[in-house]
Amino acid sequence: MGKSNLFINGTKGDKAIVLGNEAIARGALEAGIGYASMYPGTPASEIIAVLDKNKKNIENLYTEFSLNEHISLHGAIGASWSGIRSLCAMKNVGLNVASEPAQFLSYTGVKAGLVLAIGSDPGAPSSSNEQDDRWYSLHTYMPIMEPSNIQEAKDFTKDAFDLSEEFSFGIVLMAPSRLCHNAGALYFGDLKNRSGIKGDFKKDPENYLNLFNMAVRNHTKYLERSELLKKYLVESKFNKIINGSSSKIGFISSGVIYAHLMESLDILGVYDHKILKLGLTFPLSNELLGRFFEGLDKVVIVEEAEGFLEFQIKKIAYELGFKGEIQGKNFFKQTGELTIDDVLSGVSRFLEKPLPVFFDSAVKKDKELQDKLPQRSGTFCIGCPHRATFYSILKAVGFSNTEGKEREVVIAGDIGCYTLGLLPPYNAMDFLTCMNAGLGIGQAISIFDKNKKIIALVGDSTFYHSGIPVLLNAVQNGADILYIILDNSWTAMTGHQRTPSTQKDIDGKSSSNALNLKDLVKSLGVSYVKSLDPNSVKRFASQIKSALKEPGVKVLIAKRECILQEVRRNKILNKNITGLTETSESLYEIQKSRCVKCNECFVELACPAIILKKDAETGADYYHIDNSSCVKCGVCYEVCPNSAIRKVEFNIKKELKLETKNLN
Amino acid sequence: MKKFNTAIVGLGGQGIITMGTVMKNAALSSDLQDVSGSERRGGAQREGYVETFVKYIFYENESEMKDPRKSMHSPMIESGGADALISLEPLETLRGVRYINKNSIVIFNETPYIPITVRMGQTAYPEISFIFSELKKITNNIFSYDFDAISVENFSSLTQKNIIALGALFAKADIPIDVFVIENLLKEGKGAENNLKAFNLGLKL
Repeated sequence: MGKSNLFINGTKGDKAIVLGNEAIARGALEAGIGYASMYPGTPASEIIAVLDKNKKNIENLYTEFSLNEHISLHGAIGASWSGIRSLCAMKNVGLNVASEPAQFLSYTGVKAGLVLAIGSDPGAPSSSNEQDDRWYSLHTYMPIMEPSNIQEAKDFTKDAFDLSEEFSFGIVLMAPSRLCHNAGALYFGDLKNRSGIKGDFKKDPENYLNLFNMAVRNHTKYLERSELLKKYLVESKFNKIINGSSSKIGFISSGVIYAHLMESLDILGVYDHKILKLGLTFPLSNELLGRFFEGLDKVVIVEEAEGFLEFQIKKIAYELGFKGEIQGKNFFKQTGELTIDDVLSGVSRFLEKPLPVFFDSAVKKDKELQDKLPQRSGTFCIGCPHRATFYSILKAVGFSNTEGKEREVVIAGDIGCYTLGLLPPYNAMDFLTCMNAGLGIGQAISIFDKNKKIIALVGDSTFYHSGIPVLLNAVQNGADILYIILDNSWTAMTGHQRTPSTQKDIDGKSSSNALNLKDLVKSLGVSYVKSLDPNSVKRFASQIKSALKEPGVKVLIAKRECILQEVRRNKILNKNITGLTETSESLYEIQKSRCVKCNECFVELACPAIILKKDAETGADYYHIDNSSCVKCGVCYEVCPNSAIRKVEFNIKKELKLETKNLN
Repeated sequence: MKKFNTAIVGLGGQGIITMGTVMKNAALSSDLQDVSGSERRGGAQREGYVETFVKYIFYENESEMKDPRKSMHSPMIESGGADALISLEPLETLRGVRYINKNSIVIFNETPYIPITVRMGQTAYPEISFIFSELKKITNNIFSYDFDAISVENFSSLTQKNIIALGALFAKADIPIDVFVIENLLKEGKGAENNLKAFNLGLKL
């Protein structure tokens, strides 16, 4: 975001380029929130990260990266009941974890406004499923708002707090990754005075106690409130009917898909049909739909995933006795991201209007070409300790790409940066679903298939999220499994939020409440627990081998900080001390004469800093360490069986220091 | 309404999102300008395909700006809808081919980053000549440079290649945004001196 930090100081009349997630956070700030929390998750992370980063300069704002979504939403409820407007954010699958508090929220209602911002991930570019959380509202009854662009992301969030208080519901704000990570122009509004934000919890047994008939009474109350909200939605500013000319065709859409639809109609040059833009997609008002259906005999619903709107609207159409045709999912696919291309093609088929030539030929050309291109998948950062962990595991279980050796050992995957270990060349996961499924499923397999050795993986943040009871369960029930905790001290994948393992902050300050993971594991009843540096790959691999021979639950902690954080901190600290950033004192190089291209570093370890080069004279291929990207972790040096990798040391720091002295 | 769509593609960690952010910030000077465009971020993963879109919109007048049928813009560029495609990795240029049409300008970086499937010997990396000939089938406006080499040569680091490429884009494509607007933005940002130098190196290509 812009130079003078408009995020915290901007007022009406200011305009800036803002990320969708930041727009949501700004909307919450304009609404005067005092509480913001989340368990980090792409694509939603920046919603709370931007508030957390700026909180020193925002009066009376509490932020929290909670240990999981269940705690996070409960925290928001506690704040709301204390009279504090609260924002909770999570990714789509987070609501599975938080579904319990979400289920009770309508029973109890809110005191101060509560908004739950959910980053959904159609196409799953950063998730392990593409669930559409809107379906939850059919039983949680939480109203859903769906902004279509950056401006609405801010405006809707702000309005959601008023709506929340008026109808005593927590409001779901749905933002797919296309909106979370859209950056566009935002016109700011004014900020509220924040000096009066102060908690005051007032007992409210009528609403907060749920047992027996009290629960039934509260169930009745929220169904009534939902009916009141439906009445309000007949005329609200959130849902808009754009009248057509004489056309008997109508389109219904919401969120980012509405933006795809409007642009598609513009591309096709079609401006005469009636359009219903739904800003609030649950609950839907029968009366509003009745008004929209007037004069229409064909309606198409343009939406992503399985058809949440279609499901509701077909029911309402039946109740209203609408005789026209309703189309939807037969024109727009249910799986994968619904792109502007999908919307454009679907609309063209529905209207039986040809696609523009430039579009058609581009689609054809792309199809023809894509099969010929090598696929590219992401991998670990250069110097990432997870690469060393996977290398060690695969060595210990006898896997090799180069020698074509498969592995017998079952490896249970889990959620985090290390999930990338399921991709080539490691292929080191046999199943992957949700957080802490690795040990949960793996421990049961160990009980039923005694012939196989099982390794379950987990990261520190995921372990603290909900892994502790799983480990305790495995111990209590006699599982036989090796559990490797990849402890890199950060929730790295989502932008480096702290975990209980974080010992040193990015500015070098020691954490006052860092947890001793080894002691925690021991206290759960694990007698076999060792903590090692994964970058010592030989030692680590032999330790994995020995552990696999032991019975019961064994825990190895692969302890090494995320390399990105280590490098960043070094840069900050070195800058502070000497004003210099170049402190490299060693480099690694592959000696051409000794390298036999055995592929141990190039394919098995597969560090991207090791690249293929062509000798200018002979034209022969050779492996080379690219020093502009190498971070000097030294793992390749250790894996080379031919001592072809050499460490060259020199004291560049001292030389540079002398230079600056001379300059001064 | 006039539009100018730019698709920027490449790999995670190459500075593509920064390029998009600089371009978008150049569209704030008038209310009649609008800008949209999403990013595809792959979490913290490196070396994966990343793309970002910059869609400039110029309204003719206020009534067009307020027309609900004209004022809502998708964050994505449709197939064939890009006026310019800029790619920081040769192979990824071909993955971005879907966005271009016969009038598009294409600028790509010549330094390849070898995908793991190629390392493992399962597939081959396409020759630069193949990339050229495939692009030629669509448009004649193709420019390629070794932005990695230019960056290393001038800054002893790869970090400026994105801004050099941005300069090249402004030199070759007819973008309806003044060059000095970008220069002013770079002047106000972090690393101003290097960024300005890099942008001007690109402009001269």
